[in-house]
Amino acid sequence: MGNYQMTDTDNILEIDTIEVVYDSVIAALHDVSLSVPRGKIVALLGGNGAGKSTTLKAVSTMLAGERGKVTQGSITYDGIPVTNQDPADMVGLGLVQVLEGRRCFGHLTVEENIISGAYSRRLGKAQIRDELDKIYGYFKRLKDRRKSQAGFTSGGEQQMVAVARAMMAKPRMLLLDEPSMGLAPQLVAEIFNIVNELNQKEGVSILLAEQNTNVALRNADYGYIIETGHVMLHGSAESLLADEKVKELYLGISREGRKNFRDVLRRESTRHAGIHH
Amino acid sequence: MTEFLFFIEVVVAGLLAGTMYSLVALGFVLIYKASSTFNFAQGAMVFFAVLSFVGFMEWGLPFVVAFLVTIALMALVGLATERLVLKPLRNQSEDTLLMATIGLGFVLEGLAQAAWGVEVRRLDLGIGDFPIQWIIDSTGLFISALDLTAGLVAATLIIALALLFKYTRMGLGLRAVADDPGAASSIGIPLGSIMLMVWTAAGIVALVAGMMWGARAGVQFALVDLALKALPVLIIGGFSSIPGAIIGGLIIGATEKVLEVYIGPFFGGAIEGWAPYVLAIFFLLWRPEGLFGEKIIRRV
Ligand SMILES: Nc1ncnc2c1ncn2[C@@H]1O[C@H](COP(=O)(O)OP(=O)(O)O)[C@@H](O)[C@H]1O
Ligand SMILES: [Mg+2]
Repeated sequence: MGNYQMTDTDNILEIDTIEVVYDSVIAALHDVSLSVPRGKIVALLGGNGAGKSTTLKAVSTMLAGERGKVTQGSITYDGIPVTNQDPADMVGLGLVQVLEGRRCFGHLTVEENIISGAYSRRLGKAQIRDELDKIYGYFKRLKDRRKSQAGFTSGGEQQMVAVARAMMAKPRMLLLDEPSMGLAPQLVAEIFNIVNELNQKEGVSILLAEQNTNVALRNADYGYIIETGHVMLHGSAESLLADEKVKELYLGISREGRKNFRDVLRRESTRHAGIHH
Repeated sequence: MTEFLFFIEVVVAGLLAGTMYSLVALGFVLIYKASSTFNFAQGAMVFFAVLSFVGFMEWGLPFVVAFLVTIALMALVGLATERLVLKPLRNQSEDTLLMATIGLGFVLEGLAQAAWGVEVRRLDLGIGDFPIQWIIDSTGLFISALDLTAGLVAATLIIALALLFKYTRMGLGLRAVADDPGAASSIGIPLGSIMLMVWTAAGIVALVAGMMWGARAGVQFALVDLALKALPVLIIGGFSSIPGAIIGGLIIGATEKVLEVYIGPFFGGAIEGWAPYVLAIFFLLWRPEGLFGEKIIRRV
């Protein structure tokens, strides 16, 4: 009982029952709560439109740029309440979001893209070189492509550029939004290997939004499943991978095809009800 | 032979005048890159900047001091524009921003006239609008000292800006914002300070162009329209291309001079006023994205 604060401060990120509204009317999140323990990888899973990106943008404060607002609840990053900060403030505090869809600077070279990630750090030329070498150590493929215009590199390389660029800001926490989107399985594996390496060697905590439940859970410590702005289920990655409901819905091991999580839960409860009567 | 020499003279004078269009067009391109908006206030900025400069000179400030004070003033205009106009309108449509720049133009024109009066001022830079003797002696060409100075000053400024954007941290920030403001903001590039830099650069460009033009024709309201000749320049060169602004300016400068001299008399002169727009319309029909309009890179 004496260490009641310990569990709290071990979380680098805590989201407490937030509601998010776009354009002052459209509610995208209703009561999302989740936490990311320091140094861990947490997966945020759900289909299209579930609210994954909205959750990440609430944390990085990128929401304001899309006329979205956290109207209820609170977000705490590294003990600091996230309220009036802007994205540059959050980057300064060591939290960087990698946006969905890669979003490289197409006319800049791969290397200029990566260097741009250090914008807020005001490094000297030599320091930039050191940091670049370190980054290329993780993203070996990018070293060969460093002089290429980013817009003309492959989808996988662009995704790596986006992550490398974020790492150049020296984050303590990364928010990754669907890094596997539109990529071949082999590249997805390559990217997740790098993400894991960054997590282990650099100690970056990661909140990972994914539709690719299987890959995400295999690379995460913990998972949350959200649907229409509600957290439906959460647990350790192993427990979710083994969960019958998750298997049926998200891992493609289903007898009757995909359906909505709510339906499965409802069927579960009626089944239980049937047993009791 | 003298016919040919005369033609060369006309072209050179046109190219030198064209560098000034290039410079002003560059001011537009910077703002267009940073905020995807055609800055209709650029003409008013030229007028406001040079009128203020002449005003400070009339107060008795030395040339260099007046120049620096005016640059500071233009930075202040940039700051106010960013804080009071652009920031509140961020995430609004490009049309809204366009309207805002038109409004800003009226405000600057009004402010300039309220502060400094409406009469035409003379601006003497100490450089005559006369042919330079040694050029006549060595090549037989009659090139005006003022044209040559304006051309060199514009070229220097253009090169300096281009280097700034290619090789400095702020320049990298601007190019990142130009490609994807959302992604730029996600890695901590502050849009506000990029905008401030761009507007200050556009203010300096406006001041220099206003001084060169004002030295020839007097500091007057007509400078606003002169600066809007950057529009045909941009149609020719492409709105977001720095090389395009430079080449476009040279094309407009040379063409309008040649037309003015050889065809002008048949139209009773003053062809310079509209010839660039006609040229721009031909370009619009032939190559709507402009000579250097960048091919849009598709995201894979
Ligand atoms: N900028 C926006 N304006 C209005 N509604 C939005 C906006 N972005 C997302 N939404 C809505 O919020 C909900 C959640 O979207 P999102 O967070 O993007 O889901 P996900 O990332 O899980 O696919 C969806 O219903 C979507 O239509
Ligand atoms: Mg999304």
